[in-house]
Amino acid sequence: MKTLIRQSIRTGITFGIVQVFFILIAFNTMIGIMLAKVSGIKNPGEIPAPKFLIAYTILMGLWVGIAALSKKKSLPAGQKLVAGFTASLISAILVGLLEIGMTAILVNKIFIRDFLTVLSFDFIKATLFGLTPSMGILVTIGCILLGSLVGVGLNILSNLHAVQEHWKKDLAFIKNISEKVQYSIHGKYHLIWQIVGISLLAVAVILIPMKWGSYWNYVFGTVGLYVILGLGLNIIVGLSGQLVLGYIAFFAIGAYTMALLNAPEPHNLMWGFWPALLLGVVLSALSGLLLGLPIMRLRGDYLAIVTLGFGEIIRILLKSDVLTNFTGGPRGIQNIHGPSLFGKPFNSEVDFVYLIIAGVILASFVYNRLQQSRTGRAWLAIREDETVARASGVDTIKYKLLALAIGAAFAGLAGGIYASRNQFTGPDEHALMASINVLSLIIVGGMGNIPGTILGAFTLKGLPEILREFANFRLLAFGALLVFMMLSRPEGLIPSHRPKYSKPKETAADLQKKEVPHDK
Amino acid sequence: MNDPSSLPLTPKGKNNLQTNTNNAVKKIQSIQNSKFMKLLRPILGVVVSLYIVFRLYQVLVVQHEYGPDTWTRLLISGLIIGGVYALIAIGYTLVYGILFMINFAHGEVMMFGAYAGLYSFWAFKIIPVAGNPPTNFLNAYPILAIILAFLIGMTVSATLGYFLEKIAYRPLRKAPRLVPLISAIGASIFLQNAAMLLFSPQLRDVTNPEILRRGAGWTIVVNGSNVVLPYTGVFTFVLSILLLVGLYILVRKSKLGRAMRATALDKKTAALMGVDVDSTISRTFIISGALAGAAGVMWGLHNGLVYYFVGFIPGIKAFTAAVLGGIGNIPGAMVGGLVLGIVESMGPAALGIDFQLKDVLSFLILIFVLTFRPSGLLGEVLSEEKV
Repeated sequence: MKTLIRQSIRTGITFGIVQVFFILIAFNTMIGIMLAKVSGIKNPGEIPAPKFLIAYTILMGLWVGIAALSKKKSLPAGQKLVAGFTASLISAILVGLLEIGMTAILVNKIFIRDFLTVLSFDFIKATLFGLTPSMGILVTIGCILLGSLVGVGLNILSNLHAVQEHWKKDLAFIKNISEKVQYSIHGKYHLIWQIVGISLLAVAVILIPMKWGSYWNYVFGTVGLYVILGLGLNIIVGLSGQLVLGYIAFFAIGAYTMALLNAPEPHNLMWGFWPALLLGVVLSALSGLLLGLPIMRLRGDYLAIVTLGFGEIIRILLKSDVLTNFTGGPRGIQNIHGPSLFGKPFNSEVDFVYLIIAGVILASFVYNRLQQSRTGRAWLAIREDETVARASGVDTIKYKLLALAIGAAFAGLAGGIYASRNQFTGPDEHALMASINVLSLIIVGGMGNIPGTILGAFTLKGLPEILREFANFRLLAFGALLVFMMLSRPEGLIPSHRPKYSKPKETAADLQKKEVPHDK
Repeated sequence: MNDPSSLPLTPKGKNNLQTNTNNAVKKIQSIQNSKFMKLLRPILGVVVSLYIVFRLYQVLVVQHEYGPDTWTRLLISGLIIGGVYALIAIGYTLVYGILFMINFAHGEVMMFGAYAGLYSFWAFKIIPVAGNPPTNFLNAYPILAIILAFLIGMTVSATLGYFLEKIAYRPLRKAPRLVPLISAIGASIFLQNAAMLLFSPQLRDVTNPEILRRGAGWTIVVNGSNVVLPYTGVFTFVLSILLLVGLYILVRKSKLGRAMRATALDKKTAALMGVDVDSTISRTFIISGALAGAAGVMWGLHNGLVYYFVGFIPGIKAFTAAVLGGIGNIPGAMVGGLVLGIVESMGPAALGIDFQLKDVLSFLILIFVLTFRPSGLLGEVLSEEKV
C-alpha cells in the first residue's frame, strides 16, 4: 500500500508539472477552441467559453486517472481508487498552486507577460473559468478529481471478468477475419491482389489531383517531394548506415542549379527545365562524391557532425554577400521558369503533382531495384558491420561513395522540381531543420523501406497541414514525438524486414558426397 | 579413393576458403594502401596549408591592412567567446566520454540558463531598495545579484540536464547509436519550442548591473590607439577560467571525478568495483548542465541578447571545440574552445575573407580536424570503432 501511494504521488507530481506546463504555453485554450469548433461554433475567438475549458480540465483529469493505473491491472478496485485519487489530487494541487499564483498576478495587476508570455489578464480570467479566483481553483481541482474518477471507473469496468470475456470474443473475431484476409493476400491470390491494389492506387493517383483544390495539391506535392528526399536519405542512412545530417545541402544544389539556369536574374541563361534538372541531379551526385571522398573513414556521430558542417557551409555561403552576384545572396532567386512538356507549359499545381508523382515512382523504382541488387546487399553488410563487410571482400569505400552519390542525386531531383514549382529558392529554405525533418520522417516511418518513407512523409509533412489549428504547437509536438518514438518504437511505424536470402538447395547427390569424408 | 577435387568440402574447399581469405586481406590492404587514397590526404593537406600561408603572407605582409591595435581587439573578443565555448564544450566532452553520444540538446540547456539569468536580472531590477536616491536590488548589491543570477541559471540548467538524461537518454543506453542521437535531436527541438511558447519568440535585452555595463571597460593604448577591454568580457573570461579549473580539480581529485573517469573507461568494470554507474552519469549531466547554465548567463551578460534560438549556434561551435581538442578529453575541450574562439575572430581578418564567413571557417576546421586528425589536438588515438 505504501509503495502504491508513493508511486501514485510520483505520477501525480509528473502529471501536475505537465499540466502546469500546458497552461503556461496556453495549450488549454487551444484545446478549448478545438472543442468549440467541433461542437459547431464558427468563431470561438482567442479564448473559448468556460464550458470548453472545463471540458479540457476534465479530460486532463481523465488522463491522470488512466495513467496512474496504466501498469496496475491486477489490483483490487479499492486500491485502484486510492491510487487514482492520490495521483489526481497531487496534480490538482500543483495546478491549484499555479492558479493561486496567477490570481496574485491578477489581483495585484502585475504585468508579467515579459516573463511568461501567455499570462495576460484575460487568459488568467479564462483559466479560472470566469469565476471568482477561489471558486475557479475549487472548480479546477474538482474537475481533475472528477475526470480521474471517471478514468479509474473505466479502468475497473474494462477489467471486469464479463467485459474482458466480451472483448476477447471480439478480438478473436477480428483476428480471424484479418487472418483470412492475410491468407488471401499472401496465398494463391497474391498476384491478383497485387494487380488490383496497384490499379486502384493508379486510378486514385490519377483522379484525385484533378478533384482537389490547388491548396491540397500543393500539400500533396510537398509530401511527394519529401518522399523522394526520404528515399534518397534512406539509401544513405537506412541501407548503407551512414548518418548524414547535412542532406539538405544536396537539395540546395539541385534547387540552385535549376534556379540559376532558369531565372531571368542573375544570369538569364534560360536553359529550360529538363536540361537543368538533369544537370542538377548530376551536380548533386558529384558533390556527394566530393564530400564523401575525404570523410569515408568517419563513422556514426562524427560523420553526422561533419556532414552537418557541410550543410551549414553551403547555407552560409549561399546567404553571404560573397556570392551575391552569383547566387542572389540572402534574397534568393525569384521568377524561376516552370517546365513544359510537348509544348504544354506547366502552370497549375495539378501538373506539378503529376510531375512529382512521376518522380516518386521513378525514385521508388530505382530504390527498390538497388535494394535487391548486389549493391543493396553490400550496403546492408556495411550497415551491419563495416569491418566484417570489408573482411568479406566488400569494397566498402566504393559502395559508401555510391550510396552518397545516389542519395544526393535523389535530393538533386527533388530540389530541382521544388525550385521550379515554387518559382523561388532562397538560402533559408535549406537550413539544418530541413535536413532533420527528412531524417525524422524516415525514422518515424521506419528506416529502410518505401512504405515507411511514404507514411513518414504523410505523418510529418501532411498531418501538420491538416492540423493547422496546432500551428504553434507543431514543432513542440514534433520534438516530443521524436523522443517518444525513440523510447517506445525505435524501429519506426513500419519496421522493415531483413530480406531473407535463400541459399541454393542441396541436392541428394551433394549430401551423399558430403558424407564421404566422414567415412574415412 | 575419390578425387578430392570433386568434393565441395574437401581440402580443395578449404584451399578455396583460404585463398578467399587471402584475397580479402589483400583487398583490404589494397583499399587501404591504394595510391589514390594514400596520396589524397597529404596532397589535400599540403594544398590547404600552402593556401593558408599564401593568404597570411598576402594579408599580413603585402596588404598590411590592420595594425596591432586591431589584432589586439580581435584577440580579446576571441578569448572571451572562446571561454564561453570552452564551458559548453566541457559538457559535450564529459557526456561523450561516458556515453559515446552527442548531447544534441546541450545548446538548449545553455539557452534555458541564459533565460534564467535574464529573468533573474530583470527581477532584481524590479525589487526596490530604500536609499538616497532609492535604487533597486540589482544596483544596490550588484555582486550579490550577479552571484545569485549565476546560481539560479546554473540550477535551472543542471535540473534540466538531469531530467533530460533521465527521460530521453537513460532508457536508450543499450540501443543502437542512432537512436539516442535522434532522441537528443527531438529533445532539442522540443526544448527550443517550449522556450518559444513559454517566453515568446521576441529577442530580449539583458539588464546588466551598473558595474558591468556593456560596452564600458578599461582602455589600453596599443600602437597609439585606444583598445577597450570590456568589463563584461574580462569578467566572463576570468569566471570561465575559474570554472574550468574547478572542474578539472573536481574530475582529477574528487571521488566523484574518479567515478566519472572509471565509468568513462569501462562501465561494467566500474560497476563491479562499486561505482554507481547510473548516479555517476546523472551527476555528469548535472555538472555539464551547470557549466552550460553559467555559459548561458555569461552569454547574456556579454552579448546582451537572449532568444529561444540562442543556444543553437554556440552549441554546434562548442561541439566543434570539443572535437578540435579531442573529444572525451577535458583539457582538450578547454584548449579547443579558446583556439576556436581566437580562430573565429582573427581568422577572417588574417585570411582576408569576409567576416560573415566566420562560421564557415569554424565548420571547415571541424571537417579538417575530423578528416586529418580525428583524435583532436590533445586526444589519444581512438580506435576506429569509437570514431
